[in-house]
Amino acid sequence: MSKYLRESQSKIFANNKAWVASKVAADPTFFKKLASGQQPDYLYIGCSDSRVPANEIMGLDAGEVFVHRNIANVVPNTDLNVMSVIEYAVVHLHVKHIIVCGHYNCGGIAAALSHSDMGLLNPWLRNIRDVYRLHEKELDEVFEKHGEEARGKKLVELNVLEQAKNVIKTAAVQKSWMENRYPVVHGWVFDLKDGLLNDLEIDFEAELQGIKKIYNLEGWMSRKGSVV
Amino acid sequence: MGSQAKDDFEYALKSNESWANYKSHQNPGLFEKLANGQSPKILWIGCSDSRVPETTILGLHPGDVFVHRNVANIISPTDINSQAVIEYAVVHLKVSHIVICGHSACGGCGAALSEARVGGVIDAWIAPLKALRKANAEELDAITDDKKRAIKLAEINVKSGVDALLSTYFIEEAVRERGLKVHGCVYDVACGRMTDLKCGNAGKKGVAGVKGEEEEKKVVKGNHGMLVFGGDGASISIR
Repeated sequence: MSKYLRESQSKIFANNKAWVASKVAADPTFFKKLASGQQPDYLYIGCSDSRVPANEIMGLDAGEVFVHRNIANVVPNTDLNVMSVIEYAVVHLHVKHIIVCGHYNCGGIAAALSHSDMGLLNPWLRNIRDVYRLHEKELDEVFEKHGEEARGKKLVELNVLEQAKNVIKTAAVQKSWMENRYPVVHGWVFDLKDGLLNDLEIDFEAELQGIKKIYNLEGWMSRKGSVV
Repeated sequence: MGSQAKDDFEYALKSNESWANYKSHQNPGLFEKLANGQSPKILWIGCSDSRVPETTILGLHPGDVFVHRNVANIISPTDINSQAVIEYAVVHLKVSHIVICGHSACGGCGAALSEARVGGVIDAWIAPLKALRKANAEELDAITDDKKRAIKLAEINVKSGVDALLSTYFIEEAVRERGLKVHGCVYDVACGRMTDLKCGNAGKKGVAGVKGEEEEKKVVKGNHGMLVFGGDGASISIR
C-alpha cells in the first residue's frame, strides 16, 4: 500500500516535469509570458468531479480560464468562497464570459435526489433541493413520463440554469454589464458519454431583465444610506 | 456584445469538439468508462488562477483528480463550500492524497500584503491571509523583494491549510484508518514547476525523490501525448 501511494504521488511530479518540457519546447517564452500576469477571457464554475477537468474539456491552455469548482457547481448567494471568485474574475480580471457547467451522472445531483442524511453535505445539497422545489411541476412530469434517469438529467440542466441566474444576480456582473457590456453568462452541460459540451443557450439579456425587478443591484449605496 | 467576445465563446466550444474527438480516437473506451463512475486518487485544492490548471500541469487525464479551486486556495473550517468538497472526496470517494497547492504571483497573497481595501466581498474572504501575514510579520518584513514576499506568504498559507486539514475530524480518521496523505506544494508560474513543501503527513523526506530514474521514466511514457490549442488551431504533440 505505501509503495503504491508513493508511486502515485511521484507520478505527479514526473508528469509535471514532462509537461514543462513540452511547453518550453513548443514556445520557449511560454512561462515568461504567464509570469507577467493573467488575462483570462473566461470564468468557469464547474463541478469538482474528476471527470470534468475545465481546461481539458474546453481545450484551453494555462492562463486562459479562471476556475472555481465545487460539489455540483452551485452558486449560493451567501457563500463567500464562490462570491469572491466571481468578484475577482469580473471586477479585477474583466472576464468576458462566465460559464456555469454541470454534467450528467453528477454525484451531487444524485445525492440531492436521495433521501439520506449526509452530515456536512446537507447544507450544500439543500441548494440543489431548492432548485427542485422551484421546478417541481416540470421535474415531476418528466419523472412520470420518462422515469428516474430523465428526471436526473433534467435536474442537472435546471440546476445549471438556476446557478447561472445566481451569477447574474450579483452586483459585480450587473454593474460590469451596464458599464462594459460584458461578461455574458452561459450555461453548459458536459456529457461524460461522448465528452461533448452542450450549450443550454441561456438568453443572457432576457434573464438579466427577468431578475431585475427583485435583484437589481446596479445602484450604489451612498454613505448616508440613500441609493444613487 | 462585441463580435470578438462571441468568437472567444465559440472557440471554446469548438475546442471541446476537437478534444472529444481526439480523446476518443486516442482511447476509444474512455468516455464510456468515465460515464460509469469516478475513482480519483487525488483531491487537489488550488487557486482559481488561470495559470494553474491542475490536470494540465500534472499531466493527468479526466478521472484522475477531484478539484476545488478558490481565491488563494484558502481553507477555512467554516467554509461549507470547500468542506463539502473535502468531505465528499475523503469520505465518499476515498482519495489517497490531498494536495494543497499555492503559487507565485498570487493575486490574493498580493492583496493580503497590501494596505489597500480590495472592495466587495473579497476582503472578508482573504481575512485569514491577513491574519497569517500579521502572525508572520517578522519573517515577511525581512524579505525586501515583493515577489519573494508574496511567495513566502503563499507557502505559509499552504502550510496553514495543511494544518487545518490535518485537524479536521474526518481527515484524522482517514489518516488513521487508511493512510490518507496530505501534501503542501507551491507552483511557480514563471517556470511551470511544482515544489513539494514536505509539510504534511507524508514524512519529512517527502515522496518525490525516493523513486529510481528507471521507474520514473516508465510512468512518463504512459502519458500518451498532448493536445495544444492556441493561435489559430489545435496541434497534437506525441511524446
